[in-house]
Amino acid sequence: MNIKEVANRAGVSVATISRVLNHPESVAPATRKRIEAVMESLDYTPNWFARGLKLNRTGTIALMVPEILDQGYMEIAKGVEDVARQKDQNIILATTEEDRNRELKTIESFIERKIDGLIIVSSALTKKDLTLFRNQKMPVVFISKNPELTGVNGVLTNYREAAAEAVNHLIEIGHRRIALIRGTKPFNENKEKLDGYHQAMENAGLDHSDGLIMEEENTIEGGFLAMSRLLSEGRPLDGVFVTSDNMAIGAMDKIKQMGMRVPEDIAVVGFDNLKISGYVEPKLTTVAKPMYRMGLVAARLLTDIIEEDRPEAEPQEILIQSKLKIRKSCGHEDRFSEIF
Amino acid sequence: MSLTTDFMGLKLKNPIIIAAGPWSRNGDMVRRAFRAGAGAVVTETIVNELNPDVRPRLAYDGRGVQNIRLYSDMLIEEWERELTIAKSEGGVVIASVCAQTPSEIKYLAQKMERIGADAIELGVASPMGEGVEVIASSPERVFELTKAVVETVKIPVMVKLSQNVSNIARIARAAEKAGAHGISAIDTVRCIIGVDVSTGKPMLATYGGYSGIPIKPLGLASVATIAQSVKIPVCGIGGIATAGNVLEYMMLGATTVQIGTAVMLEGYQILEGILADLEKWQRERNLTSLSEIRGIALEELKAFDEIALEPKTAKDPGKDCSDPNCRKCMDCCVYDGIVKKDGRIRIDQELCRGCGLCVDLCPDGIIELKW
Repeated sequence: MNIKEVANRAGVSVATISRVLNHPESVAPATRKRIEAVMESLDYTPNWFARGLKLNRTGTIALMVPEILDQGYMEIAKGVEDVARQKDQNIILATTEEDRNRELKTIESFIERKIDGLIIVSSALTKKDLTLFRNQKMPVVFISKNPELTGVNGVLTNYREAAAEAVNHLIEIGHRRIALIRGTKPFNENKEKLDGYHQAMENAGLDHSDGLIMEEENTIEGGFLAMSRLLSEGRPLDGVFVTSDNMAIGAMDKIKQMGMRVPEDIAVVGFDNLKISGYVEPKLTTVAKPMYRMGLVAARLLTDIIEEDRPEAEPQEILIQSKLKIRKSCGHEDRFSEIF
Repeated sequence: MSLTTDFMGLKLKNPIIIAAGPWSRNGDMVRRAFRAGAGAVVTETIVNELNPDVRPRLAYDGRGVQNIRLYSDMLIEEWERELTIAKSEGGVVIASVCAQTPSEIKYLAQKMERIGADAIELGVASPMGEGVEVIASSPERVFELTKAVVETVKIPVMVKLSQNVSNIARIARAAEKAGAHGISAIDTVRCIIGVDVSTGKPMLATYGGYSGIPIKPLGLASVATIAQSVKIPVCGIGGIATAGNVLEYMMLGATTVQIGTAVMLEGYQILEGILADLEKWQRERNLTSLSEIRGIALEELKAFDEIALEPKTAKDPGKDCSDPNCRKCMDCCVYDGIVKKDGRIRIDQELCRGCGLCVDLCPDGIIELKW
């Protein structure tokens, strides 16, 4: 069974069948349905190998994330998948734990497998690694990239401004002794959040010395541990900004365990807006990180490049704005701003 | 003699554009608008990330509509197909897009241009979903969003403004300075349409945007202000349901208008009557083009201290009221200047201070203000 026979049976041209296979969105839904029914009745499946050779495309894109169990990366994957499905692209997923050597190896194997394009999330790659893609004319889009990587397609969010906004919110409510709990990973992202914290505290004329900053592994346990260390030092605190919701949940647990209340004794603001953050007690004020939208936009940017077949097109950096999600853990009582 | 209108370099067969909204939510609806005679259609606002549709999301109070729907519910990939369908009637399609940063909105606009949009409207004036202050309340933000788009696309760019701001002229100037080709105003107005007092619950679950006939006076004031502040053409929006309403906006400076809520409440067939009435009006006055009346009412808008102090008073109609028991004019007169005798009203020329309210309230329309 080949494409010509399908076209004959469906009473359309080979080109139309080809469009159903390659650009289904460009065919009227009714026609598409009819052709798909004919294909099914004839048990026709395109010869993907031959097709790949002819189009010089494999219909596969790859997504590389630091780790798989992180909800934020799953949201990115969902965004990529939602676009890929519309574009009839399959996705290969790889995790690399921000390990540059592992990233390079994975990318090489992707190139050998002739994928159509690649989305790289929070990687440890350096500027000189970029030649790898350029030599292969491989379309690449970075999400939350290392700022050193310039002249590439990137989808970013404003971690520094978002962190400063979160800390400013604590200051506006009236908190003055505000600590920072930061995760060791992802590195660049947390570095920007640290900068945002310093900037907001500096502008308000508040203490932001090293003793107020704790670094731990980016997990619930890490947050618990960091809060324990902050409290054990006996430093008076009335607020803490935490670089991830998971760590913030751990930190809140520690505060409660010490017999103190959130937010009355210590206010807490997280970062990510995980689903669970709206259910913990008190509900966590956090920065909604637009991960899903970043996934959508990165996949769109990538499929644009693939479809237009110009990997050397002018690179774009698209900034997706995050949003402060005001709930209860920060101690605000202004329900109005919570609604908007 | 025709309704043909030049707008931002686009040739429209008439000045009536269908506004962004649920009635322009896909290619088929846009096609319906063209078949009903629309001069152009703005798509429902297209965004990168879809919002879930809450239910219910529309409420009507007998005059206006509250809407809490956030943007289009179709993916951009789906719009690629829908825009082809929308364009199949050959009409002018304006893609409405919204995003919070210049780079993101630029991306969306560029994408819409590539898939066939004839123009872009920046839908940055929604009163919900974007924080207490609407995006278009900051001249700086409007400037940078507009500039990013104008520098990227080759098609005309129109910026939609909100009435929920203190100085709409400043925002309009920021858009013009950034290179916008037109301004549309106004978007829906932030509202809570009502509270069900039996349950103590608002009629819809959150703040929304109010549209329809009650917002026309707000739209007219905004359009007049914008038309007096910028040189780029203005597209008037807000409460238009008749040809007369279209003319009101034009006389206050609009080149084109947008209709949304009237279409939602009465269907696209409403366009036929409006267009026929507009043509008739134009023919009766022997106007080659409606542009001849554009802005004529602006010349009549005066500063408070320029208003001539004429000793006008309401005059006795000199005929019977159709309803002998009607007391409307008497009840509204705070100067106690009107009495009724033998089914006929008498206006005391010493007491009347010429405020004009009875003239508008009289169901027979028989009271006149003169001197």
